[in-house]
Amino acid sequence: MNIVSALEWVESTGLSTAIREGALLYPIIGGFHLLSIALFGGMLVMTDLRLLGWAMQRRTVSDVLEQFRAWKRAGFALVVSSGLLLAWAEPLKLYRSPSFWEKMALLVLVGVHALVFRHGVYENAKALDAGLTPQAKLAAALSLTLWAGLIVTGRLIAFDA
Amino acid sequence: MPTGSFFEWLTKTPWAKAMNGPEWAFPVVESLHFMGLALSVGTIAIVDLRLLGIAMRRQSASELAADLDKWTWIGLALMLITGPLMFSADAVNYHYNPAFQFKMVCLLLALVFYFTLHRYATRSTTQSLLANLAGAVSLALWICVVAGGRMIAFV
Repeated sequence: MNIVSALEWVESTGLSTAIREGALLYPIIGGFHLLSIALFGGMLVMTDLRLLGWAMQRRTVSDVLEQFRAWKRAGFALVVSSGLLLAWAEPLKLYRSPSFWEKMALLVLVGVHALVFRHGVYENAKALDAGLTPQAKLAAALSLTLWAGLIVTGRLIAFDA
Repeated sequence: MPTGSFFEWLTKTPWAKAMNGPEWAFPVVESLHFMGLALSVGTIAIVDLRLLGIAMRRQSASELAADLDKWTWIGLALMLITGPLMFSADAVNYHYNPAFQFKMVCLLLALVFYFTLHRYATRSTTQSLLANLAGAVSLALWICVVAGGRMIAFV
């Protein structure tokens, strides 16, 4: 079975048809996708701005990172699950969209970023209270760049079709 | 000047023409709008969750509000530049779009609330019913703004 026929099968499932053709379901799921950016994106940006030393300087790094961590994970889970539902609704369109593949490539880089910097930065907040390291600043700058890239490529998907 | 012709005039302004010019213009401005969204609504939401007593409990709401104020303003500025730019690109249609009208009513309420009762509630140093209420109302209003915005493309 090749990939296109697999995606055609996805589009033929009841869930895919319901999201794609229902008048309300698609915008509601899209609304959740966007709302998770609105409600949890602020914590992601503030975490990275704190690591750069630009924001919330009166709070210690560990205060900021530890208190945002659970919320950021919840937000990530929400944005990924709503994104999966949106993708399930029109996989063929996304398969042919260059911006979608750029976005997926950036998402892979987000995973690599987490693996590379988790130990030294994001789960090492207490040590950073003594002073920000170049590694922490690099992690924050890359995180913000990846995040901006995800927004731009995500938005461009709608203009590819 | 009747309002209809004002919106038609808007669509003929140089900035509206720029928005309708190269095909990357609209998505790029829209992306900046989303980044402003995370910065403005995202930082207000942090204070709201603190007012509700469920996030950032090691700091008081007033400390957080003072920390985040500058970033909220940068986000709001970004929103209020990119939003009208997108509006100008297709002003007449947006003007008649019910989702857009809903969004603007909610936005007005959310901003007025933010600069009045929300401000007042964050000044109080104790966890009170007023603080909980202010956090919940603020979150609800901003969620309506975002949801209304998302619906514009679908009605």
